Amino acid sequence: MTPPAPRHERGLVRPYVVTDGRSHPTRNTFDLVTLVMAHGDRPLGGLSPEKRRLMELCLGGALSVAEIAGHLMLPVSVVKVLLGDLVDSGHLTTRAPIPSAELPEAQILQEVLDGLRARL
Amino acid sequence: MSHHIPEVVIWCLAIALTAVAVLLMRQRTITTGVRRRIDQLEESVRARDEEIRHLVGVRLPAVADAAGPSVPLPGPLDDRLTGTDFAHSLQSVMDYFTQAVDRAQARADQSAKAALKASMRALQGLAHEQQLAISDMQDRHDNPDVLRDLLEIDHANSQFGRRAQAIAVLCGSWPGRQRVASPLTDVVRGATSRIRDYRRVRVHSQIDLAVVSRAVEPVVLAVAELLDNAARHSQPNTTVEVSLQPVHNGASIVIDDAGVGMDNQEIQQAVALLSGRRPVDVSRLGDPPQFGFPVIGVLAARYGFSVSVDTRSPYGGVRAVVFLPSSLLTQLEIDGPGTTPLTGHPRGTAKGPRTSARTHTPRPAERIHPPQPPEHPAAHPGPDAPATPGAGTVVGSTSGGLPKRRRRQPGAAHPRPAAPLPAETPTERTAEENARRMGAFARGTRAGRVGHHPPPDGRIPGPPPGPAPGRPPGHAPAEDEGNPHA
Repeated sequence: MTPPAPRHERGLVRPYVVTDGRSHPTRNTFDLVTLVMAHGDRPLGGLSPEKRRLMELCLGGALSVAEIAGHLMLPVSVVKVLLGDLVDSGHLTTRAPIPSAELPEAQILQEVLDGLRARL
Repeated sequence: MSHHIPEVVIWCLAIALTAVAVLLMRQRTITTGVRRRIDQLEESVRARDEEIRHLVGVRLPAVADAAGPSVPLPGPLDDRLTGTDFAHSLQSVMDYFTQAVDRAQARADQSAKAALKASMRALQGLAHEQQLAISDMQDRHDNPDVLRDLLEIDHANSQFGRRAQAIAVLCGSWPGRQRVASPLTDVVRGATSRIRDYRRVRVHSQIDLAVVSRAVEPVVLAVAELLDNAARHSQPNTTVEVSLQPVHNGASIVIDDAGVGMDNQEIQQAVALLSGRRPVDVSRLGDPPQFGFPVIGVLAARYGFSVSVDTRSPYGGVRAVVFLPSSLLTQLEIDGPGTTPLTGHPRGTAKGPRTSARTHTPRPAERIHPPQPPEHPAAHPGPDAPATPGAGTVVGSTSGGLPKRRRRQPGAAHPRPAAPLPAETPTERTAEENARRMGAFARGTRAGRVGHHPPPDGRIPGPPPGPAPGRPPGHAPAEDEGNPHA
């Protein structure tokens, strides 16, 4: 097992270069669990290396903002700036996490299961 | 008899006159000779005076001001003194003075370097510590306003660290940090991070080359100095263009600015400094001290890359070219922490057996990152990974030992495996696989009819144990096919 990389290794390219000095995302719709999905048909040319890596990550499926930040080894607030740009340019769409109310409750499932078992 | 007297007198007079004339002539010759000799001596004394004045006024100051032993010193003024004792004495004065100056300079340089080095190392350490603290804060605070302030502090701190690092290197220290091999693009952007006008730097062309670990920091530092020069000597509304080019036996970083350029004398001076052959005297960097070129020269000579600034940029300013030989380059490391977020990508192996059967073009991630980097064996569940309970959601573990979540697929949130399956991949399954699935289905229905406890032969209802090698256990196939992007 590879030991976790030393902390300072991520310090080569500083976050202000990644965001080009910006700190406010263009939209304020992201939180840690917002799900992000990529549109595979958008060209990746012209994107900065971080945005390109972000797109490559998201092309594999939906990811949460927190996961993206972890993979890119960038602060969450910096990732939000990048995500804002990519959503603006149409590379990404976001989806709020599935609210728990939409999921069937465990109790109902248990009742259904009990009912089925009683019948069979 | 009396008329003989005047004759005698005349003779006498004649003789006397002749004698006087002869004497006069001789005297005159002697006088001329003496005069000439006096003139010569006067000339000689004046020449020596001149020579002494020249020594004090020109030659000794030249020794004191000489930038190095290779600079030619002015010789004696008058060739006529060559070989005389006087010239020898003068030469010994010169030699003695030169030695004294050299000794004093060496001593001063050494103590200045030692003092600067020690204090700069301390500052470097502080800058580094502060950078870690700033990075921690950036991670911790999620407020854009706080982030803005932190970015500003971070930027100032990076420049501060670079200055300290440059001076320390000039004083004979090592650049300081050991980094993993990093892509050339990151190296250039890392250099961009350390200058004031980072927003004016445009990095074009990305190439798949990385700089070897030991050269990362020196190259970053050298490129940062060049970028800083370029940005400082051009108008604030112009950009500094950086392009990366793979060349025959290495790679080049080309930095163009649209500034004022350098005249011939400046170029010559820069070339001499960049060659790194001239020892750098920290006490003679000018006021304000010009660290840039001497630092680059020291680094280039020590690490074996070369820098030239003697071309004109197409934008009118200076074109600086950093040439990195192949020995300092490596292919893009795929498992460096900074380069690959995808090593733990579960789909890389999960889809392993299927990729060849599909006709989709490989995703960029797969092209850049080979599917199984040997350095991360734990990140990928191998074919013989045990089928753990709940294996449908846990597809391996992180390097920290935590279970990994299977990524949520769009459209897989409500898995309906039956609908898209037969239409999409009817020909991909082998006969054995079909049989196994049918068997699983049959066992499941049987188990459901018999009762809700496992059958006595120990088989569990549901998917059969021991999935196909290379395929993640559980619901992986269904989720794969439910993914429109795959």
